[in-house]
Amino acid sequence: MSSVTLFPMSKVDRIQRALGFVALIGLLATVGFGLVWTPPDQFMGNLVRLIYIHPPLAWVGFIAYGMNFLTSLAYLWPRTRDLRWDQLAGASAEVGVLFTGLVLVTGSIWGRPAWGTWWTWDPLLTTTALLFVLYLGYLALRRVPDDPKLRARRSAIAALIAFIDVPVVYFAVLWWKSLHQAPTVLNPLTHKTYIHGSMAWTLLLGFVAFTATYAWMLMIRYRLGADEQQARVADVVLALHERQEEGR
Amino acid sequence: MSESSQDVSLDSEAQMRARAERQVADARKLTRRRLFLVGSVVLIAVGFLLYKTLSSSITYFKTVDQALAARSTLKHSTFQLEGLVQSRSISYPSATSVDFVLMGTHGNEIVINNSGEPPELFRGNIPVVLVGHFVDGQTFVSDQILVKHSNSYIAAHPARVRAPNGSVH
Repeated sequence: MSSVTLFPMSKVDRIQRALGFVALIGLLATVGFGLVWTPPDQFMGNLVRLIYIHPPLAWVGFIAYGMNFLTSLAYLWPRTRDLRWDQLAGASAEVGVLFTGLVLVTGSIWGRPAWGTWWTWDPLLTTTALLFVLYLGYLALRRVPDDPKLRARRSAIAALIAFIDVPVVYFAVLWWKSLHQAPTVLNPLTHKTYIHGSMAWTLLLGFVAFTATYAWMLMIRYRLGADEQQARVADVVLALHERQEEGR
Repeated sequence: MSESSQDVSLDSEAQMRARAERQVADARKLTRRRLFLVGSVVLIAVGFLLYKTLSSSITYFKTVDQALAARSTLKHSTFQLEGLVQSRSISYPSATSVDFVLMGTHGNEIVINNSGEPPELFRGNIPVVLVGHFVDGQTFVSDQILVKHSNSYIAAHPARVRAPNGSVH
């Protein structure tokens, strides 16, 4: 088992359970605080409640693609080349695509009453849609059956290309004129935070809860991938054995 | 083993090898086809989004000042105009239209005739983006208002407190 996965399984079990617990409690608390405890916004009213999930979802997408980029680099680097990095890269991209899809959906749900439209070709929205398509393409590329090493190399190169769009998405509202507001926290231009007390804490809680959710999902997906690979290897061994039996 | 049975065994081995080679070649052909299909779909989608990024997103809107400066070149073409809604200028000539003045910096102003219901959060003294065109030098006819938000989130009633009995003061 240890030859297929990156960590010993018993430790992973414990970490996975702890992460799942933190994620569940965090998400429940975010929903509770976001819907009940925090006040409505002076201008937006109750529409503001979507910010407790929309920016954290986008953040998790960035983490997922960052992880995908680093693990792809680790695969391409001759000294660290290992198919387990490729597996982790694929798992992270899958979770990232799910979260980016949710970013687009929640943004659209907020945009209709707040902006007055479901969708507009704003720089941030367009580059985010591009990010979604790039990583969907990356996942599609991974599904094309081929020699595992060749497929991993091809996927890693595609991952490095797709990652170019990540900083473009982050800086889109700062580089170009945009309908979308600039970041409220960690604004690289002003280094200031523009959010009221309890709203800020709930937003921070959302970031922690969704990051834990990402880590939990990543572990589950990675282990599932490892199990799939083991099952494939077992199938091949069985088929070879059957052939040998037939030959006798 | 007799000579004839040895020949049969060599023949079947050669046939198996040939069949395996054919299967490998077919698999390679199928992989290339799938890669081509995936690549084509992704390239078309990425190409379309890059086109939208370069054509619509980079210059998503013109400010009031930029639009007035480029009035002669813009003529009656449709574009997105951004500015601040002058509070006292808002009037509703009908249930589905709104007129107001859009302000830029340096005292520049454009009169707006908007048809269509404005969004829920439309009001005075907020930045908006309008989709439409000039009809004369100072009037802009639009059919869509997009409300632009700041990145500040301020509690609606920061001084409000909840009493132990649940009532809000």
